[in-house]
Amino acid sequence: MTEHFTRRDLFHKAARGTVLATLGGGAGFLVKKAHGQVVWQVDASRCLNSRLGEVGVPACNLCTTECVVSLSAVRAVNEHSRCGRCNICPAYFNITSAVDERGLPSEKLCPRDAITRRPIGKADPEDPANNFYEYLIDEEKCDGCGKCVIQCKEPLGLGSIVLRIRYNRCVDCNRCAISRACPKGALVQVPVERAVS
Amino acid sequence: MQYRQIAVIGGKGPGPGQFAASLRGIAVDAAGSVYAANDSQITLFEAGGRLRRRWSTSQPVHSVAVAGDGAVYAGQIGQIEIFDGGGKLLRTWRDEALLGRVTAIGFFAGDVLAGDAVGRAIRRFDSGGKFRNNIGRDNPLNGLLIPNGMVDFGVDAHGVVHAANPGKHRVERYTPAGELLGHIGHFHGTNPAGFGGCCNPTNVAVRDRIYVTEKAGPRAKVYSFSGELEAVVAADVFDANCKNMSVAVDRGGRVYVADTVKLAIFVFEPVAI
Amino acid sequence: MMWGRLAACCGLVGRPLTAILAVLVLSTSLPAQTIPYQRPVDTAPQEKTIGGGYQTPPVQKPLPRSSWLQLLDVAVLAAAMGISSWLVLKRRSRKALVALAIGSVAYFGFYREGCICPIGSIQNVAVALTDPRYSIPMVVTATFFLPLVMAIFFGRAFCGGVCALGAMQELVLLKPVQVPRRLDRALGLLKYAYLGLVLFFALKPAAARDFVICRFDPFVGFFRRTGAPHMLLIGGAFLLAGMFIGRPYCRYLCPYGGLLAWCTRLARRGVTITPDKELDCGLCADACPYGAIENMRAVRRNCLYCARCYAACPRDGELARAKAQLVQLP
Repeated sequence: MTEHFTRRDLFHKAARGTVLATLGGGAGFLVKKAHGQVVWQVDASRCLNSRLGEVGVPACNLCTTECVVSLSAVRAVNEHSRCGRCNICPAYFNITSAVDERGLPSEKLCPRDAITRRPIGKADPEDPANNFYEYLIDEEKCDGCGKCVIQCKEPLGLGSIVLRIRYNRCVDCNRCAISRACPKGALVQVPVERAVS
Repeated sequence: MQYRQIAVIGGKGPGPGQFAASLRGIAVDAAGSVYAANDSQITLFEAGGRLRRRWSTSQPVHSVAVAGDGAVYAGQIGQIEIFDGGGKLLRTWRDEALLGRVTAIGFFAGDVLAGDAVGRAIRRFDSGGKFRNNIGRDNPLNGLLIPNGMVDFGVDAHGVVHAANPGKHRVERYTPAGELLGHIGHFHGTNPAGFGGCCNPTNVAVRDRIYVTEKAGPRAKVYSFSGELEAVVAADVFDANCKNMSVAVDRGGRVYVADTVKLAIFVFEPVAI
Repeated sequence: MMWGRLAACCGLVGRPLTAILAVLVLSTSLPAQTIPYQRPVDTAPQEKTIGGGYQTPPVQKPLPRSSWLQLLDVAVLAAAMGISSWLVLKRRSRKALVALAIGSVAYFGFYREGCICPIGSIQNVAVALTDPRYSIPMVVTATFFLPLVMAIFFGRAFCGGVCALGAMQELVLLKPVQVPRRLDRALGLLKYAYLGLVLFFALKPAAARDFVICRFDPFVGFFRRTGAPHMLLIGGAFLLAGMFIGRPYCRYLCPYGGLLAWCTRLARRGVTITPDKELDCGLCADACPYGAIENMRAVRRNCLYCARCYAACPRDGELARAKAQLVQLP
């Protein structure tokens, strides 16, 4: 190695400069174009479990099986302001099971027992059918299997339970594994502001 | 008892006897003519199903009923419009508070009963439109539980108001003054004698029996006043996505059910076994 | 020598080929949807109806990872690369580098679950450059460009103990077996083939777009502690192979490694074997598991910054310093 500034050094310097400029230009272009984060979400108007019109189909649980996270990032979410607060909720109970002595179905629907039921409002102690009930879904237990979602769907229920991706669990893959499998193309990408508003 | 389908009236479409977007209420008068509350119109069919007349209302109609004198009451949001048999508007009862959304109308002894889905009550007015009392609002406690958004009832010959209380899976009996007399019906997931799903029965009509319709596994059934299931009028013929199917009964015991998806009125006749 | 020239030519061809691919592909993107779930009449009972002082519980809307934490990831990436190059080029300490590798596996691997990584970001950047409707957050841009800029000056500092995939392989390399030079150079071309494949699938129209790096990442199954059987098998196979063959994914398959190798050609600094200081003992060449020392000279573009050469050199690094202690006789 000599100390002279050779042609090779000049070539290297020029090449380095050019490559840096190209990279800089590319980066600048991308930064200019950049937007905020985009996240995946389930479109309830397309999802098989919640969209109007599909009857007599079993619940689709691809959200549970396809997600790359160990317990799927999809959860059933009950939008309480749209919930009917019914005494006999088809998403909580398995309404085809035998009726017990209280007049309620004996079995619960959720295979992971994620829904809790409690009377709210002006409660009638003598007549439990005369009450409103609140149904809460425990997100630690729910795995997004969709059984309750499809039972809550109109016309059987009011459609207040929908499947949603929870962003504290979702890894935000470039191509959501569920979106590759979803038969209705219900997984869409939306700006994060819209998804959490 | 069994029923067989004898006619289908109306249907979905732009034609003269067809319905465009909604079919929310039906009624039958003494002569057997069928009145349909659809879109923003009242459509009148002959007993055989032929279109006789159709007129527009100022707002979308949610229910229709025919009084003893032939006046046609059309229940809407915030008001009831009263027409004569020819379709001429006679008067309008306007009351935002008491007539939030009139989904059922009935008559007894000169009084007019209007089911208000927003207030979750049956309002009793005299023939002039003056309010008398509520039925079913807080007796007992939480009153009529209607997540389906429809109050429906029928009045029998003795003046007993049979109101559907779908959240409780019952048809409750009230006096016109509002006193709760009792109820029939219970929940059952599989037995047809019970009311299934989350909120059934959705609609009620009364003559000498209690006629109900249900959603989600849509069907029409007939019960005796003591609560025994007498017949399942029909089930498979309705669109599976129907909800709040209005029901009416005529003098001959024929049952009329309004399919809210196919937008057609199915007519069933009892058959002697 | 011939293989070396061939490799160089392929590298030269790779870039315009990419550009052609990019120009040829038309792209559309998934339309962003609004997600209202409308029902004709809202008939559910509200608080007033329910009474008794009931308050409707709010529906939880958990937020994704905060943007500050994402910035932190980029900062950690930059810092780790700085530390890596300092540890190898200045301190020349293999022990410290292994510690850095463990730290990277812990942070970028198990904590961040391998996502977002510069390798995968090739796909995002390629799509963002070609699809007008697709754009990426600045964090992803930074993740892609930082290691490349570093490589232009210092070489593959990213590969040395920062990249979680590389660090995993680095840590399981127990008994390095030298791969014959010609075979090594030939297999090295697979990187560019894989790069081409990656770009081909990434630059498809939005609906058909396939991010193959993410789908076939060998170690992400371990980082996430769950995965499809084929992913875990591939990962296991690479780890097994990696016990004997030094960093097989990095040398023969990593598409980003291909880009880094390209940038390293321009680097002024890097691992150097100084002719007037060397003993010609060849211990460094034997120690290097990655074929980065040829004819007693460092081939910088293959150097994966593991510092084994310094560790083995009797004149440099820890060994030399330790020996220097011994020979200080009065």
